Amino acid sequence: MSAPIRRRRDGRYAVKLDPSVRAVLVTMAEQLSPILGPDEPMTRRLFPPAYAGENEREREVEYRSLVDTALINHHREAFGVMAATAQADVLTESELDAWLSAVGSLRLVLGTRLDVSEEMEAPDPEDPTAPEYALYELLGQLQYLIIEVLAAGLPDEGRPEGAL
Amino acid sequence: MRGLSSEVSLGVGSLGPGSELGLGVGSGLGHRLLAGRASSAPVEVEPDIEERTDLDELLDTDKPWLVIVWNDPINLMSFVTFVFQKLFGYSKEKATKLMLDVHHKGRAVVSSGTRERAELDVYRLHEYGLWATMEPST
Repeated sequence: MSAPIRRRRDGRYAVKLDPSVRAVLVTMAEQLSPILGPDEPMTRRLFPPAYAGENEREREVEYRSLVDTALINHHREAFGVMAATAQADVLTESELDAWLSAVGSLRLVLGTRLDVSEEMEAPDPEDPTAPEYALYELLGQLQYLIIEVLAAGLPDEGRPEGAL
Repeated sequence: MRGLSSEVSLGVGSLGPGSELGLGVGSGLGHRLLAGRASSAPVEVEPDIEERTDLDELLDTDKPWLVIVWNDPINLMSFVTFVFQKLFGYSKEKATKLMLDVHHKGRAVVSSGTRERAELDVYRLHEYGLWATMEPST
């Protein structure tokens, strides 16, 4: 049996996922995309402060005014690409990159809602948070699969310092 | 204690070089970011204050800013390592060491430079959902 996500010889990625998983990705992306923003409690975690210092509030306000729209657009675009390609069997590298970003954002939103900690154990099946926690775990597995194939394409020795 | 999620192993294979799509996006936004600052800064300030601001900015560039990534309980260890490799071009060894510093010490300095450079790095880390902040070096 081959891996759920694997790199093909042509540089694209073959994706084998259960239709129910694909459906969940679309649903979540479509629900979050329109409300994305630093003032929305559900998505606040996606907009961390850059200047955390007490006497740097002014710089933080200026920074936010410069980047918030771009950051919202970045997340919205990633959600959009993932929703649009959720049923695909083959993804390009940039599409899989968007999946990585979108799946990571979904995990952050869910993990923040669940207030997860490192030692947290899966809640009892009867617990009202159990379905959401299961979804959080599923997203973690999917993210791990994506990282595994994308990281394999990065050189172990890195790039020359400062090169983009 | 809370920290990077570690439920999956760090092992990642090596299959050779790959393209680096997506990096252009971050730097493009960075340039727009800098342009925005330059055009909006001088508006409605008194001339003497403006001079002082210039001096501040000048001193700013002499003193490097540190970009710090903080521990969080959600992001996977392998994900954090991957982001450090991808964004900064660090070797897998260096990226893994920085990730472990974040995990065990609670934070790690992942890059440094001018204030604008640090803002760009922070922005790119935020694109990946990492909890990154910046502060002047002491």
